[in-house]
Amino acid sequence: MLAGMLGLGPTAVSRLADAAEAIAAGAAPVLWLQGLSCSGCTISLLNSDSPGPAEIITKYLSLGFHSTLSAATGKVATDAIQSMIAKAKGDYILVMEGAIPADMPLACNIGGQDIGQLFQTAAAGAKTVMAVGTCAVYGGVPAAEQNPTGAVSVAKYMTDQEIDVPLVAIPGCPAHPDWVVGTLAHLLKFGMPKLDMKHRPVAFYSKSIHELCLRCHDYDNDIFAAKFGDDGCLHKLGCVGPTTYADCTLRQWNSGTNVCTRCGGGCIGCTTESFARRRDIAMFKKPAPQTQPAAKG
Amino acid sequence: MATTINIDPLTRIEGHLSIRTDIDSGKVVKAYTSGDMFRGFEVILAGRDPLDAQQIVQRICGMCPVAHGVASILAQDALYGCAVPDNGRLVRNLILGAEFIHSHITHFYHLSAIDFVDIKAITKYTGNDPVLQDLRSWVETELASNRVLPGAPFLPRYEGNYAQDPELNIAAIRHYLDALEMRKLAHRMAVLFCGKLPHAASLVPGGITEGVTMRQIAAFSSMLSDLRRFIDRVYIPDVLAVAAAFPDYFAIGRGCGNFLAYGVFPESADGKTLFIPSGVLKADKPAALDVSLITEDVTSSRFSSPSGLHPSKGQTQADPQKKDAYSWMKAPRYDGAPMEVGPLARVLIAYKAGHAQICKLVDDMLAKTKVKPEALMSVMGRHAARAIECKAVADRCAAWLDQLKEDQSACVDYTVPESGAGVGLTEAPRGALGHWISIADHKIERYQCVVPTTWNCSPRDAQGQAGPVEQALEGVAVADQNQPIEVARVVRSFDPCGACAVH
Repeated sequence: MLAGMLGLGPTAVSRLADAAEAIAAGAAPVLWLQGLSCSGCTISLLNSDSPGPAEIITKYLSLGFHSTLSAATGKVATDAIQSMIAKAKGDYILVMEGAIPADMPLACNIGGQDIGQLFQTAAAGAKTVMAVGTCAVYGGVPAAEQNPTGAVSVAKYMTDQEIDVPLVAIPGCPAHPDWVVGTLAHLLKFGMPKLDMKHRPVAFYSKSIHELCLRCHDYDNDIFAAKFGDDGCLHKLGCVGPTTYADCTLRQWNSGTNVCTRCGGGCIGCTTESFARRRDIAMFKKPAPQTQPAAKG
Repeated sequence: MATTINIDPLTRIEGHLSIRTDIDSGKVVKAYTSGDMFRGFEVILAGRDPLDAQQIVQRICGMCPVAHGVASILAQDALYGCAVPDNGRLVRNLILGAEFIHSHITHFYHLSAIDFVDIKAITKYTGNDPVLQDLRSWVETELASNRVLPGAPFLPRYEGNYAQDPELNIAAIRHYLDALEMRKLAHRMAVLFCGKLPHAASLVPGGITEGVTMRQIAAFSSMLSDLRRFIDRVYIPDVLAVAAAFPDYFAIGRGCGNFLAYGVFPESADGKTLFIPSGVLKADKPAALDVSLITEDVTSSRFSSPSGLHPSKGQTQADPQKKDAYSWMKAPRYDGAPMEVGPLARVLIAYKAGHAQICKLVDDMLAKTKVKPEALMSVMGRHAARAIECKAVADRCAAWLDQLKEDQSACVDYTVPESGAGVGLTEAPRGALGHWISIADHKIERYQCVVPTTWNCSPRDAQGQAGPVEQALEGVAVADQNQPIEVARVVRSFDPCGACAVH
């Protein structure tokens, strides 16, 4: 399954199978921090299939600390974070979920420290920083126009603070579990995957939503939905599938059950840098309701 | 002489929350809850197209995005005058019902149970279950390794009086793993009708974009029956077993004793008949809900905007350095009083109202736990109420599924007026959720959310009244101040969401 996700051939399968053992032997400690986030990328990760969530927690990752899952609370939790940073220096992958409130440090606090400070310390000792979700990768909703906290992406924060650690970016609101697990597996077994200019793994973000969409055929045949609930391509309702790059329409969501364009909601571009950012660009278009011809008397 | 103990961060919740307690003679005398993250959703929404709202507000919370989406589209239905077709109403109920099931299962097993169950018991497992044998080997390998944090994320933890019964511990550990798959299945079930989760794509004013086909009905029905079997045969028995092992927690964490519910799951086209009813309980006296009595106090909150406003006039002006403020949460009050919201509030209000299914489930639970109804106002009562509600909602989903009309529309069209106002009242898994919207010149003029954990974890108000969680902590005995597990158990029984509460 993982090999399929990564588009790797059969010879890679056995090496991926080894990955679990290598990781279990202590190769891959992960420190997972949450900034200005909704925890949706964490919940999404727990929706993973093959490996499922139990395997991820106990075999694929050694989750030194994760705010939603760790038994550790209070000082036990901050001690766990600090010992990971001090004792696994240079070894651990730092996953950052959420944006960083650069202009209002008090807008996100963990253990008496603002998330910016904590991120700086944790990133400085990390082998790799993995920004998970659109908030971490681009700023997302917390960084939308007129936001009060000066929220910034992990990449921007790292540049501003001169933190020079390899960065891999997994945008999506939330990030698809296959993208996160696939990238982690690649990092652990093969090193850094092939990335594009925005630090995204090429394997997941090189095709547009539109070209793999089930409704693409309707677009080609000029069949457009005029209102929500209609059949046809959703372009005239605001779907931004043609300019959004991710493999959702092929992979689908929640164990291949459905996807935004298939269910008629349309793509709102949640993997893009511009997602939700400008208040003058509406997510949906609302064509005027079509007037019904008067009933013949 | 009181000593101050900070629990920061309080993990295994959504978002960022910390608790400060003053402890004297081994008991909490005062407690302060702090919401530690602010993003400014209400500020960000102003000036935007109103149709953006149902998508943006879902990003308030990755655990209960559907509830926020539903609150937003209910507010917009009211504002645009949409008559949502039956299929639209029923599918919304099914998607939100699935979110309740997902959230309640996650809360019990993955967020709360490991405060009661001894995870270390796995090392003594001698049975034949291959999954548990593998888990035991993993833990043994971990503990023998030179890892920085062996056994993480299950260790380290507060040490305390965990369950002693090996059978309970082993069953609960196995069910922790099973429940990971069950909560995932509840998401999949919702996604048949909502595209993806977290953050659903099909919720729109006027109904639901996804069509209703036999394929989805059959798949939903199959997944639902697996979930109902798990709830009946695993979740409820596990809650009863934990309750039997910790009977003292029926007398710990009572709280403010006031309860409020907006009600949820419309059973009629006009939305006035609800499966889970609305209402208020103050000093055990039931009353009808009067939404005009809701205000948000910001005396102890990091906002400079005026205090005591009704949410339809609410404002959100951040003031991070505000003197004496200790939380990013506002303090909602009903007729001036703090109110507990959530499954316990809903179940008690429905019980008082003589709700047939809920009464039967509550009486059954009371008989099995051998406690009186008053004892439900407690840590264990909240876990019991959540399990009861999970069963009632899952059972009801089967009826909604039967009412769907295959291939009929789930959505109506509408026109967005130039100006107007609407309110969407619903319930998130963790309690009463209201969104207030007003628009001018076709754009959002004001958007205010009053969220369940804002009620429950609210800080002190102008009258000095502590919030429900703060009150529930007063008097709680703490055996070891370095391992204040008792405090964590009380707070987690409310299923707090710091991300939601501040937004």
